[in-house]
Amino acid sequence: MDCRAVTPWQPPPIVISGCHNMTALQDQTNMSFINEILNYDSLSIVGLQKNTGKTVSLNYVLDRLPIDRKRIAVTSIGIDGETTDQVTRTQKPEIYLRQGMYFGTSEMHYRQKRIVSELIDVSDENTSLGRVVTAKALTGGKILLSGPSSASGLKRWMKDMHRVGLDLVIIDGALSRLSLASPAVSQSMILATGAAYSTNMTTLVNQTAFVVELINIALTNDFNLNLLMPIEKGVWYVDSEGALHEIKMVSSLSQEIHFEGMDDCKTLYVAGALVDSFLEKVRKNPKLKTTELVVRDFTRIFASPQQYRMFLKSGGKIRVLQKSKLIAVTVNPTSPLGVTLDSDTLCAKLTEAIHLPVYDLMKNNVDDCVPQSSQTKSVCETQTHTMRCN
Amino acid sequence: MQLRDNIESPCGLRYMLDQLELQSGYARRWLLDMPMMRTGEEIAQAYAVLHRFVEFIEQVDTPYINTLQFRLQGLKDIRTTIKNLGQKAVLDDIELFEVKHLAILAVDVAERMRNHGLDDAVQIPDLNEVITILDPDGLKMATFYVYDSYCQELRDLRSQMRQHPEQQEDLLLQCAEIEEGVRRDLSQQLHPFAKALEAAQVALAQIDVNLAKALQMKQLGLCFPTISSDESSRYESMFHPQVKDALEKTKKTFQPVTLEFGLKPTLITGANMGGKTVVLKTLTLCQYLFQYGFGIPAEKADIAVKDEIYFCIGDEQSIEKGLSSFAAEMKNIDAVIKASREDRKIVALIDEPARTTNPTEGTALVSALVKVLSGKRLSLVMTTHYDIEPTDAHCLRVKGFENGTMNYELVEVQDGEVPHEALNIAESLGIDKEWIAEARRILTPSNSRGLDKGANSTILGVKKHFC
Repeated sequence: MDCRAVTPWQPPPIVISGCHNMTALQDQTNMSFINEILNYDSLSIVGLQKNTGKTVSLNYVLDRLPIDRKRIAVTSIGIDGETTDQVTRTQKPEIYLRQGMYFGTSEMHYRQKRIVSELIDVSDENTSLGRVVTAKALTGGKILLSGPSSASGLKRWMKDMHRVGLDLVIIDGALSRLSLASPAVSQSMILATGAAYSTNMTTLVNQTAFVVELINIALTNDFNLNLLMPIEKGVWYVDSEGALHEIKMVSSLSQEIHFEGMDDCKTLYVAGALVDSFLEKVRKNPKLKTTELVVRDFTRIFASPQQYRMFLKSGGKIRVLQKSKLIAVTVNPTSPLGVTLDSDTLCAKLTEAIHLPVYDLMKNNVDDCVPQSSQTKSVCETQTHTMRCN
Repeated sequence: MQLRDNIESPCGLRYMLDQLELQSGYARRWLLDMPMMRTGEEIAQAYAVLHRFVEFIEQVDTPYINTLQFRLQGLKDIRTTIKNLGQKAVLDDIELFEVKHLAILAVDVAERMRNHGLDDAVQIPDLNEVITILDPDGLKMATFYVYDSYCQELRDLRSQMRQHPEQQEDLLLQCAEIEEGVRRDLSQQLHPFAKALEAAQVALAQIDVNLAKALQMKQLGLCFPTISSDESSRYESMFHPQVKDALEKTKKTFQPVTLEFGLKPTLITGANMGGKTVVLKTLTLCQYLFQYGFGIPAEKADIAVKDEIYFCIGDEQSIEKGLSSFAAEMKNIDAVIKASREDRKIVALIDEPARTTNPTEGTALVSALVKVLSGKRLSLVMTTHYDIEPTDAHCLRVKGFENGTMNYELVEVQDGEVPHEALNIAESLGIDKEWIAEARRILTPSNSRGLDKGANSTILGVKKHFC
């Protein structure tokens, strides 16, 4: 891929893209959140559920990143992209790009763009909406994102972006089980949660805290990383000599799991989904008491909180091959069915449970939500820049 | 008959293709769509081009080749776009980008070819004018949009858009109309280049394929064949790259084979595990490689051009057609006989025909097959375990067991009588002694009562060789 020469990075004057209605303290908190993103070369924004405000969070971040200092590319995984949510029939916000940002989307959505942009690559990567194309925004404006749908395709795209000199790649990463690409390939992450996931505050807080716990699972050691990273399917174990053995079974979902002959199992690696039944079998097997259980990343854990906690309580150890640093959690207290939770209480409870900054980015009304770089009204009907928590 | 129709041939053609370092998916498709060459002129021409590429990779260093390969990775299949252009359709931004991308790649690769005197080996049409049309600012970048420079009004509208984002929606609509007009103009200007773009795409695929073939020749130690002036083929130290590779992995070596065959039927007999099937596989592979212009796995090869290649390997069953292995084999050989009655140059390589039936009928079928196929414009190479009736066939035999080890060399024998080493080989494999001893006892003449005539002759054979 050809691209314009990279402008050498220079420490520029700090541009604070603060909101009109924010207090100085909120402004400061806001900037620390955005500034932290700048420490990483990739960020994914994942929603626990549709309508948890993922796109709002993405727009919020895109609007505030200092594009004079960082060259930014954005894409999406999964099958997002319809202007109307196919499931809930609610309006789906489009992504607002600022001039100079790069983006990866499908051919179909590129043709529908409402923005002036310059094509820099048409890849061989096929999605259900055509090939993935990469372009640079020459004016600000709205686009629909639908990027690579496979894990390898996403990694390749990110690598390409970094190769042509971009500093930060942002992935609109649905936690969708329909997408093969995992957002955990990014260095950092923002998690969007909200009433769309559950209108019961306690459930919502507990479930969110559980996902945060999974996202924070530590990386395995370097030896395992090198050994296991290339393996994309099957169940394997590593003995104390460091030799790798495959366990013959259809998948970890299979009911027929036998751990015979595995007296010397130091690490047990599940490349696919980790489910309750498997976790239970590992927990109950006395031979696997000191075994480290490794999964690819947190998105592969489909076990229930109960089973997962029991596993840890019984002395089980779980590690991942790829993890993202969770920077913040955003909440949307309104569910698509109209139920609205009290934002302040929700933020406070969540902060207490997860010990991370929690932001309600959707608190105020329409006029406040206009991104500074656009001044257009239609970007997102409910977006605000107000942060009430932390 | 395209390469893709033969790729799954059990001779191992897929292995050769998998070993080819092709850079673009389009080049792979182009190669798979390549029809089998059936004239000496075509084949000679293809090898002349490949020869230039072999010289080229000798001249330049590895980083230069790597850069060229990297460039060729940018070759995309834009046939649909070119077709649209040819039909005077208005191209959209993505299509115009593809055209510009191809033109820039073609100009870049053409210059590299010219610098090494390869521009006459594969001719790439000059697409500089296409670049000029799609690069009004002269940036020489493989990127595209409807540039401001195409129209002053567009430039003004866009600048207004940047200053007044609140008017963006309206301005975008106005821009869209102008942009469409620009695309229409560009498509019209580009229309005359449709043929050149198509030719450039094919030329780049040819370069990718030839470069990969040349590198494969070097890597696997393949040779350039000569084109046989008669209808005979001659191979010196021929080998099968896939089998060789597999043997080397287990620290064994492949014993190269030297042989010649022509219109007179060639029969190969020999002990089990003597490599007869590998010989047939290699001959088939070489014939395909020759007719698709690849390097040949041999030290020297002089190969006859054929119209049809038949490779009948006995143990295939046609489950979809509901045929047993015998039926499938008979149908395959039947196709050879039918084809031999037409005036076409055919090579048929048949592995142990009728092996799955009883020896009496099997022997009769094989003897009759040799007779039926003799005198036709057909080069037949056939392996068999049966003692067939004396014919004027050219008979070769795998040397077989010598001092406890297998010698795979092919030697000429006067008649088609087969060696009888099955029991010796079984013994060397450590097979149950009682079983082998019982078999030997049955084979002694005093116990031959009740065995049919075919089996009798086998017993005589055993006596002759081992008793």
